[in-house]
Amino acid sequence: MSLISLEGVTKIYRVGDQEIRALDGIDLRIDEGEFVAVIGPSGSGKSTLMHLLGCLDTPTSGKMEICGHELSRAGVNELARMRNREIGFVFQSFNLLPRLDVLANIELPLIYSGLSYGERKRRAQAAAEEVGLADRLANRPSQLSGGQCQRVAIARALVNGPRIIFGDEPTGNLDSSTGAKILGIFEELNAAGKTVILVTHDPAIAARTRRIIEIHDGRILRESRP
Amino acid sequence: MNFLVTIQTGLREIGSHKFRSALSMLGIILGVSSLIATMALTRGIEEGTRTFMQQMGGLELVRVLDKEPSAEMFDFAVLSPGRTIRDAHAIQASAPLISHVSPELVLKTSVSREDGGDPERRSVTGVTPGHFVIGMQSLAAGRFLTDLDVSRGSRCVVIGSTVARELWPGVSAEELIGRRLRIHGSPFEVVGVLEHYEREEDRLARASGRRIPGRRWDPFRMKNQAVLIPFDTMFHEFLSGMFPEDSMQTMKLDALTVRVGDLSRFPAALEQVRAVLYSMHRGVDDFDLETREDWFDRVESSVRAARLSGGLISAISLVVGAIGIMNIMLASISERVREIGIRLAVGARPADIFLQILVESVLVSAIGGFLGIGASFGLVEVLKTISPTENVPIITAGGMLFSVAFALVAGLLSGIYPAMKASRLDPIIALRYE
Repeated sequence: MSLISLEGVTKIYRVGDQEIRALDGIDLRIDEGEFVAVIGPSGSGKSTLMHLLGCLDTPTSGKMEICGHELSRAGVNELARMRNREIGFVFQSFNLLPRLDVLANIELPLIYSGLSYGERKRRAQAAAEEVGLADRLANRPSQLSGGQCQRVAIARALVNGPRIIFGDEPTGNLDSSTGAKILGIFEELNAAGKTVILVTHDPAIAARTRRIIEIHDGRILRESRP
Repeated sequence: MNFLVTIQTGLREIGSHKFRSALSMLGIILGVSSLIATMALTRGIEEGTRTFMQQMGGLELVRVLDKEPSAEMFDFAVLSPGRTIRDAHAIQASAPLISHVSPELVLKTSVSREDGGDPERRSVTGVTPGHFVIGMQSLAAGRFLTDLDVSRGSRCVVIGSTVARELWPGVSAEELIGRRLRIHGSPFEVVGVLEHYEREEDRLARASGRRIPGRRWDPFRMKNQAVLIPFDTMFHEFLSGMFPEDSMQTMKLDALTVRVGDLSRFPAALEQVRAVLYSMHRGVDDFDLETREDWFDRVESSVRAARLSGGLISAISLVVGAIGIMNIMLASISERVREIGIRLAVGARPADIFLQILVESVLVSAIGGFLGIGASFGLVEVLKTISPTENVPIITAGGMLFSVAFALVAGLLSGIYPAMKASRLDPIIALRYE
């Protein structure tokens, strides 16, 4: 049983009278514990694919099953629950809340899980330690470097114990050495059993994963295993 | 989502835009404080009027008046003995819903101190003890007239405060007890001095040392000018000599007033009085009952109108305040699109976002409401200094609760649209928003 399974997934956006086929009949299976890169030029549909896999959206047609949940017709609340429990996002631009300190940023998903105050603080602390940020808990994102911000974002993605971690160009805003370190964290997470999916256009990053899915014009162009 | 965290987040959001939040609260603060002040003012007027009505004898008081008999009864009018002491006795005996009856005989005659001084023509009234109950009189010193005074025709007198002051300037009420008056040449002993009656605004004006320009109608002048002697004394001492053909039973009364015992049975009581009077007057409708209901209704409806118009103005400013909040919330969410996107991405449901925005909006109005309560005290103080002759405004807990509840509802309603807008954001678009 695959962790993620897409069958004939199509996503059509309507812009005025025009129909844009962002995804066109995608069949894809990703098993638990895989380390996958999705690459493709901009406009290829890789972002749309990530939005679907990340439960931010539902397909126009086709079957989508993630972590055993049939999601092709899921409602907003079911999607929110999936994002909260099963999926962790790491964005290119970090997407931290500037007014919250590090601990509160990491804690954010737990608030929507309905955990108690003590449990939230305990788990957020543990996640911060995991990414090596235990000493910066009271800082605001503006007081941190880019690499540290991305660590906070990773800790936030991890804090609720999801099975899938998404990285959307996670090293795009970082210098190469910091980027390498962040990538190292993703590798460690994968080694620890998480399914990691990176969306990128950088072949060097894709090369560090174990499965590369190339998207072009809304279709899977080819798959390779480096 | 944890509700406490929602509130905490909302407070932090309000706190991070202190000036903007304060501006949007301003409408609510003004609305709440003016609503409370309006209610305090009208409450004060109401309270003042009620006290005034109490002093004037209250709603329970009903006057029996003389009236021209109607055209069809005109020929029989001579059959009616008119308004006499027998009516009073009959009402007392046969109208159980009437608690007190006060027949009065009035004589304008000279009154002076027994030890000299210029006699002055005053209105002297012969009354029964019921008069003091019906008029809701209270004493500064001494006692009221009693049944014994009436039945024995004793020569004792209860005087109003103005009379006391004019006859014995600077003498306290207690010292007046036992002093003697000469009424129409006969000596009377002062047994009681009535309290000084004045309206609340006059009392305040006197206390603050201000003069009220232009003497207005003083409803208590009659009470303060009273010279009250026992009913029977009045008849035997003065009137029987002046009108020898009249007996006490046939002597026409100058006034007849009754007091309804139980206001809830007011109409029934009036009916009893009317029935008794018809039978006493042999069916001639030469009397009328004057109640104060109309008068009270008028006063009450004007108070209600004042409250309504004041409340309406305050409500409008609350609505304006609510629109201000909505405006700020809309500005706030368009600033926070990205934040909302992030919250959605980490698992917030649209309902969580909705609640978050709604709670913020209610918090703004709640804080505004409580500040408004504080402001209302200041406002009322200002009103008091501006017009000390008016009735004292009374801030009530009910008024505060009502105003704050109104503000909360306004905040709630004004938050719904922005909250809906925020919760309908597409997380993908929101995350991409710069």
